[in-house]
Amino acid sequence: MMDYTLDELMIATMAHQFSGEVMVSSVTAFGALAALVAKKTHAPELAVLATPESGMEVTPLPTLTLGQFLTDVQRGIPLTMEEIFDAIFCDLFRIWINPAQIDQFGNVNISAIGPWHKPKVALVGSRGIPEDTSHLSQIFYYVLHHNPRSVVSRVDFRSGAGNGPERDQLLGRSGAPSLLVTDLGVFTFSGPGGSMAISSLHPGVTAEMVQERTAFPVSGLTDSVAVTPEPTAEELEIIRTADPLEVRKLELLSGDKAAEKFVAIYERERQALHVAWPARSRI
Amino acid sequence: MNKTLTAEAMMEQIPDGASITIGGSSLSRKPMALVRALARSGRKDLTLIVNVGGPEVDLLLGLGVVSKVIYAFVGFEVMGLAPHFRRARQNSNVTFEEWTEYTVMAGLDAAIKRVPFLPTRAGLGTDVLTVNPSFRTITDPFGGETLVAVPAIHPDFALIHVNYADERGNGVILGDGHIDVLCAKAAKTTFMSCERILHGDELQRFGRDVQIMRIHTQGVAELPWGAHPTGCAPEYRADLRHMEEYMEATGDLEQWHAYQDRMVWVDHEQYLDRLGGREGLVSRLHV
Repeated sequence: MMDYTLDELMIATMAHQFSGEVMVSSVTAFGALAALVAKKTHAPELAVLATPESGMEVTPLPTLTLGQFLTDVQRGIPLTMEEIFDAIFCDLFRIWINPAQIDQFGNVNISAIGPWHKPKVALVGSRGIPEDTSHLSQIFYYVLHHNPRSVVSRVDFRSGAGNGPERDQLLGRSGAPSLLVTDLGVFTFSGPGGSMAISSLHPGVTAEMVQERTAFPVSGLTDSVAVTPEPTAEELEIIRTADPLEVRKLELLSGDKAAEKFVAIYERERQALHVAWPARSRI
Repeated sequence: MNKTLTAEAMMEQIPDGASITIGGSSLSRKPMALVRALARSGRKDLTLIVNVGGPEVDLLLGLGVVSKVIYAFVGFEVMGLAPHFRRARQNSNVTFEEWTEYTVMAGLDAAIKRVPFLPTRAGLGTDVLTVNPSFRTITDPFGGETLVAVPAIHPDFALIHVNYADERGNGVILGDGHIDVLCAKAAKTTFMSCERILHGDELQRFGRDVQIMRIHTQGVAELPWGAHPTGCAPEYRADLRHMEEYMEATGDLEQWHAYQDRMVWVDHEQYLDRLGGREGLVSRLHV
């Protein structure tokens, strides 16, 4: 058996979903590494953005200093937001979205916890998720801490449109949720009424654990659920080589631990990359 | 026509209650030196229009000079939530209108094209349509489909920061363009800062990277490091250490006032000095 960690299992699973010649946004370290693994194995034609708004055709690497930095050193192709949204409208764009909440029918929330007009916690705002969930033929979500606060019966605010009568009437299948990967397993939205259903459990995870940590009944949780395939040696090698500073672990940490790791990575990244990429001449 | 102006002279033209659209994206190429000049000008009751907002929105909210924000996102990307934005959203008299990234662009584009609205599918099936009173749904007169009508957004002013500009107001953007061209075209008056002013026909060798056309520009100011603490590709990166310092300073009122005294109520040269001067910035942030 290969020796691997949960983040590596999730990233490899996410990588398997990418295919074809489409623009891929690698917003987060998980997203960047998933794009990299896919590009280096089964999906070499992916056109990868370093961040949601950074240049295209860069090697996706997880970094703290934003895609802007990668664009600089790798000379990515700069884009405008018009170009990115045209790719979305033409269904030539893929992204792994990490929502604060996702519900039974695949609605997602990154706007507010509690009522929008008087939020308990104001989050960032819907950003481009409404565009994604009205146009793309594949929509991917991942959640790092599967629990009843993140995988909920009903989201506090629909930043992104899930399944239901409103979708059927207004959007059809354009932008419907395809897949959710969490720290417990892989889920589709093929249950009754487009609700969440188990596709595979991660090794060592039981159906009971999933039900305990989900705020609603999950379809298909029987004794014979498939097990998520483990990452291959090649996939692990790609992930570890690309992310020696383990930026990917930051997403799993919180509080002081995250802050400490953040500062350490930032400093090491700055020094390492300064040496690796000396300043180039400018005008 | 020579359109060079100081940041202060630009701000004198902005009245209280003005609506201002701001280019850049979160921690990338925000016109922060102009925004600090705006903060120092004492203008108030401002309406801010951004698609991906960051420290510029947070700073102006923290100074209490904003009455309304139109936005698709306000945050600090990898650094997390914007503290003053979060606080103001949770408890303040500021009016917030949540749009989406494309609908902000469509609103500006409708203004440019002199039409009252542009249609889109973005927003259908989401609660953006339920909390944002600006949107309507309409029926496609050809096929009968339901679409969102995005109303035109007519900003009084645009503030943008670019790599190079000439004195006439043409501007070169070398990194990602974000929505700066839309901002410049949609606003009645566009003020642009740049890392460096180029002379003669130096600018024309940049071809399509000359994204800002002078017919849309009313003022240009040379403000090196003018995007700090956000980044300006390919010259320098976002100053995440400074962002940490900023976020810490928003924790209590005394620290916040001290931060303002140190980093806002000073002119641009003093601001750069407080950061260790240009040489210090080069060694820390230059690519």
